[in-house]
Amino acid sequence: MIAVLGLIVGVVVGLLVRPEVPAVVEPYLPIAVVAALDAVFGGLRAMLDGIFVDKVFVVSFLSNVVVAALIVFLGDKLGVGAQLSTGVVVVLGIRIFSNAAAIRRHVFRA
Amino acid sequence: MSENPKNPENPENPKNPENPENPENPENPENPENSENSENPENPDSREPESSEASKSSEGAKAASVTSGTQREDVPAPAVPVVAGPAPAPEPSGRRRLVAALWPPRVTRAQLIVALLLFVLGLGLAIQVSSTSDNSALRGARQEDLVRILDELDDRTQRLEDEKARLEKQRTELESSSDQAEEARKQTQEKEQQLGILAGTVAAEGPGITLTVGDPTGAVESDMLLDAIQELRAAGAEAIQVNGVRVVADSYFTGSGNDMRIDGTKVAPPYVFKVIGKPEDLEPALNIPGGVVQTLEKEQATATVERSAKIVVDALRPAKRPDYAQSSSQ
Repeated sequence: MIAVLGLIVGVVVGLLVRPEVPAVVEPYLPIAVVAALDAVFGGLRAMLDGIFVDKVFVVSFLSNVVVAALIVFLGDKLGVGAQLSTGVVVVLGIRIFSNAAAIRRHVFRA
Repeated sequence: MSENPKNPENPENPKNPENPENPENPENPENPENSENSENPENPDSREPESSEASKSSEGAKAASVTSGTQREDVPAPAVPVVAGPAPAPEPSGRRRLVAALWPPRVTRAQLIVALLLFVLGLGLAIQVSSTSDNSALRGARQEDLVRILDELDDRTQRLEDEKARLEKQRTELESSSDQAEEARKQTQEKEQQLGILAGTVAAEGPGITLTVGDPTGAVESDMLLDAIQELRAAGAEAIQVNGVRVVADSYFTGSGNDMRIDGTKVAPPYVFKVIGKPEDLEPALNIPGGVVQTLEKEQATATVERSAKIVVDALRPAKRPDYAQSSSQ
């Protein structure tokens, strides 16, 4: 419950404050958000499976974000940034979908 | 029941919880409960490795290195019935776990940490969404995309500049040519007026004289009228009409007396010559000794000349196109 509240508060604060994102971070923010979403869905599924561990969630959340940003950064340096970020988004999207399918089965039994 | 298709070969198979990973399997939701329930009475301890297997397989991204021991500590609500394993309490379903996690709210370390991370996620999400929707697509564009867009804009600008220069040049040309056309048209018009006066296709007015030849005896011959015309022309007459007939370059006089014709049109005395020209030249030219007037008076005709500041020559001739003669200039 508190976690959900945290998410809501984060969205509200982000919308109200509208902080200026530093230009260095800017290209990585969308990928990082998608990676974090993947971690959140994975955590939700783990919770429904009854195997949720906060440490794992924290580590996976942070490592997902860092790795995604790193891949994009590397892609930029190699000159394939656009393609590589597309690939990252595709992979994360597939994972989000499979996690969402598991969650759906738990919640709706279907 | 649902695990039957798999379990008969190996009832103790700890891989059963893998089933949730298979999205196609409709029996999946039941699998974790039923498999564990069926095993519980026989071997309560077997659930431990099985759960850890489940965590590895179903949550591979995160839980791979987690032992089941830490799970029991960190997940309080769902873990309680599990820890109370010896009692045949049913394994809580995912839905019940979700409800238990949501309500009542508990302030635990896990909840706080997850709340913090989700706060960060929501913040990033909101920032990204607002920055994407606020600004144009350029804000989220990558550097190479921006460079490409800039190049395209430069190209486009260059093309448009070229086109502008071309169109301006064309406009200048058209303006100058329309000026020239206007000038040419004006000159043509003037020339048409001049030639029209000579050809008799337009009316003319100006200073001149009126020569009236009375012929009470019918003695006037056509050559006398022709002489008068010649004399007037020699004196600089510019436009002449006789009794409503315009006298031009190809005019001819035929007949005599009561059947006088000019250009085939019958004219009757008195013959009224309206002549535009310099009156001071025209009148003496007619009145010189042995000239037109004297010659006519010798034939018992009368001839009077009067000057006028404004003579209107308004008899017109149709414009005639020569059939054989063609302009040899050009």
